[in-house]
Amino acid sequence: MTTFLALTLVGLVVGCIYALTACGLVVTYTTSGVFNFAHGAIGMVAAFTYWQLSVGWGLPVWLSLLLVLLVMAPLMGALVERVLVRPLYGAPIGVTLVVTLGLLISLIGLANLAWPPTTTRVLPKFFAGRTVTLASLVVSYNEILVIVTAALVAVTLRSFFTRTRTGIAMRAVVDDQELAALAGTNPQRVAQLSWALGATLAALAGVLLAPLVTLDILGLTLLVINGYAAAMVGRLRHLPATVSGALALGLLDSWLIGYAPGGVVNVLKPALPMFLLFGAVLFLKQERLRAGSLAGVRMPRTPSFRRSVGSAAAFVVAAWVVSGQLSAANLATGGQGLVLAFIMLSLVLLSGYGGQVSLCQLTFVGLGAFAMGKIGGGSPLGLLGAIALPAATGALIALTVVRLRGLYLALATLAFAQAMDVIFFSRALGYGGNLEVARPSLPGIDLGNDRTYFVLLAVVFAVGAVGVLALRRRAFGRRLVALNDSPAACATMGVSVATTKLIVLTASAGLAGLGGALFGGLHGSVSPNDFVLLNSLLLLLLATLGGLYTVSGAFLAAMFYALFPVLQNRYPGLGQVSYLLTGLGALSLGRNRYGMGGQLADLGERLRAWRLPAGQQAEVLHAAG
Amino acid sequence: MLQVESVDVRFGGVQALADVSLCVDSGSLVGLIGPNGAGKTTLFNVITGLEMPARGRVVLDGRDVTRLPPHRRARLGLGRTFQRIEVFSSLSVRDNVLAAAEARRSWGHDEPDPARTATDVLERVGLADLAGERVDGLSTGLLRLVEVARALASRPSLLLLDEPGSGLDGTESEALGTLLLDLVSDGVAILLVEHDVELVMRVCQQLHVLDFGRVIASGTPSQVRQNAAVQAAYLGADAGVVHA
Ligand SMILES: Nc1ncnc2c1ncn2[C@@H]1O[C@H](COP(=O)(O)OP(=O)(O)O)[C@@H](O)[C@H]1O
Ligand SMILES: [Mg+2]
Repeated sequence: MTTFLALTLVGLVVGCIYALTACGLVVTYTTSGVFNFAHGAIGMVAAFTYWQLSVGWGLPVWLSLLLVLLVMAPLMGALVERVLVRPLYGAPIGVTLVVTLGLLISLIGLANLAWPPTTTRVLPKFFAGRTVTLASLVVSYNEILVIVTAALVAVTLRSFFTRTRTGIAMRAVVDDQELAALAGTNPQRVAQLSWALGATLAALAGVLLAPLVTLDILGLTLLVINGYAAAMVGRLRHLPATVSGALALGLLDSWLIGYAPGGVVNVLKPALPMFLLFGAVLFLKQERLRAGSLAGVRMPRTPSFRRSVGSAAAFVVAAWVVSGQLSAANLATGGQGLVLAFIMLSLVLLSGYGGQVSLCQLTFVGLGAFAMGKIGGGSPLGLLGAIALPAATGALIALTVVRLRGLYLALATLAFAQAMDVIFFSRALGYGGNLEVARPSLPGIDLGNDRTYFVLLAVVFAVGAVGVLALRRRAFGRRLVALNDSPAACATMGVSVATTKLIVLTASAGLAGLGGALFGGLHGSVSPNDFVLLNSLLLLLLATLGGLYTVSGAFLAAMFYALFPVLQNRYPGLGQVSYLLTGLGALSLGRNRYGMGGQLADLGERLRAWRLPAGQQAEVLHAAG
Repeated sequence: MLQVESVDVRFGGVQALADVSLCVDSGSLVGLIGPNGAGKTTLFNVITGLEMPARGRVVLDGRDVTRLPPHRRARLGLGRTFQRIEVFSSLSVRDNVLAAAEARRSWGHDEPDPARTATDVLERVGLADLAGERVDGLSTGLLRLVEVARALASRPSLLLLDEPGSGLDGTESEALGTLLLDLVSDGVAILLVEHDVELVMRVCQQLHVLDFGRVIASGTPSQVRQNAAVQAAYLGADAGVVHA
């Protein structure tokens, strides 16, 4: 009984912290319509700043708390709203997501620079770990503090939203921005306030959580996935249901540790938020397709089939010529770039054309490598498995979320990637360290030769690129783009929105899986680190920066991504800076949505216009926008 | 062909539709008018399945479709345009129409070549010259025509048009009227929401007037013009539109 009570207490404490972060998430999302993927990162920065002030510089605890919770966090929230979020109102999910992910990556990069992970930092518990004993149960002051704080916040939020003018205005903004504006409230001010409030709640959760766990940048940032899951129970809207979800998650977590056998705990516990999230998603009702949503992105023109085949052939020849000059190490790096470029094609299809966002693309890649490694030793059967396993997984994920808004796909894939990291890839049933992956075998060609394999990768990318471009020009491509521009119009001309999304997600996962098989073959083996969630995020950001709407943009981004580790090896300090730069680049997408590929296409059109006589010039420029 | 029976829709405190019933017979051209905010667009959303009514039924060709998702209704021959324009802004004019024709081919039987359909439809609404243009540079009036063309490309038997004439000049709206009459003579039934009273009076055989979510009058155009409630509604909310 005492064990049960003790476990329940721990669960309650953790649940309270999840509740704080989840409520912050819900408040910002409902008032601004922009889902903040950097919510956890804000909490992480707050926790580290608190450590810096109180432990690092020895300020009194109360002063440090005051500075972090009442000065830094609200300012940060308000600033983020003003600079990053405000230009995004009404933007499609693909854009808002990339910008807040960019913020997440930047904050991680920044924190790594400010607080290098080489030293361990410990935050003492509040009240120096003093305890009281309540009916045989030892309760620390720290735990009491968390529970009391959460209860106070809950009560305050409730009366804020029902009693105060500003709170009621916030709820009005949730219901209808235009109506609220008519009624004399300024929705932008209200949104700014809600971001300040949201950041404060994130900071509060971070500061309360940090003493209970280790101060780990990534760990604290990703703990927010628990908050997402809880918020999903509240349908990203209802605070009371969100709080119940958070408490349930904390309690389940704690009871699981206490009562389930070790093996089960290790598998189940890290996956708990994912199960909760998927469970909650299953109960969500089919959403209305909103008419009057903002149109998608204006895409660069697609090159004709003949031109794309010509460029592809030239590309392969160039790759063959270049490969003769490359050292073994450079062949490997270049090959990596080619494989990644192929993998990015799956993002061009899914996100660039289809406007869907997957945050687990590398998980599909990993599943592909896994299948290739386990089945058939390089035979066509292995390749088939490498396509089929991730495709089936993608289809399964799609089935649960395609009825819903794009945001849910992003959240579900995020939770999936995180769970797969901890329960599959890093575990014996996955790789157990390293998994050998054979290269595919082709009759009469020795793919064991690195140069030959490099050229094969170039051919595969070229064929994939031509294929993706050809698809774009055909009926299915038109349907995808149309769906991205206006789901409501698509549905009213008889297109099943859900089926189309299911198909494209399945195809994209299969393509990524095939890339995974080739990736595994390149190095001969794969390790869990190759597929971690953070890299998936980085891949998506880089792809978006390069320009998801163009194959050339995907190629540029892939090459950059492949050079990352090389640069990092040569200039160790650069690693964190590159995170920061990628993040900052992504932030700029709030204003320029087409990425580098789009810019290049634009530049090309402008140059052409420049050489033409004035009359035609105007025309081309008009077409180029 | 279409029956709407006692439909209710609420948005928070706003009763957008209250006990609305109306019919559209096959091959007829029915007008739906009313001041801004009367609930016309909401009714279109209910008919096409983008909005769930709290109460009431929508019946298409004798079949209760109230629970069907939008794309299934479209496959029963229902097409529409949007008041707040919903063109595919990354596609050319022709590809907008082609996408619809291709969609129709994917669920219809024995469909003609989509490329042909697209060409025919563009010709018909007078957009043939602009086929290669991107839609994001076009004027609102032309965008409305693109929407009409796209709706026609899926060859509907009932077409819902939400203010297709706004943004058109005199000659263009004249041409639109002729196109509508043409379509009706081909056997397409049309439910038309339009503020251009002259156009409505010219082409519609039957009119329903919506005000604050209720049908306040129904009848032939001349009957409706005489109706005291209609005069009051328009004078109260949006003076002069009926007389314009
Ligand atoms: N999605 C919505 N949420 C809240 N209120 C809405 C929504 N759509 C329409 N309304 C309200 O319903 C009423 C009817 O609107 P609408 O159908 O657009 O009228 P009409 O097309 O006749 O101008 C208006 O008061 C409008 O503000
Ligand atoms: Mg309307």
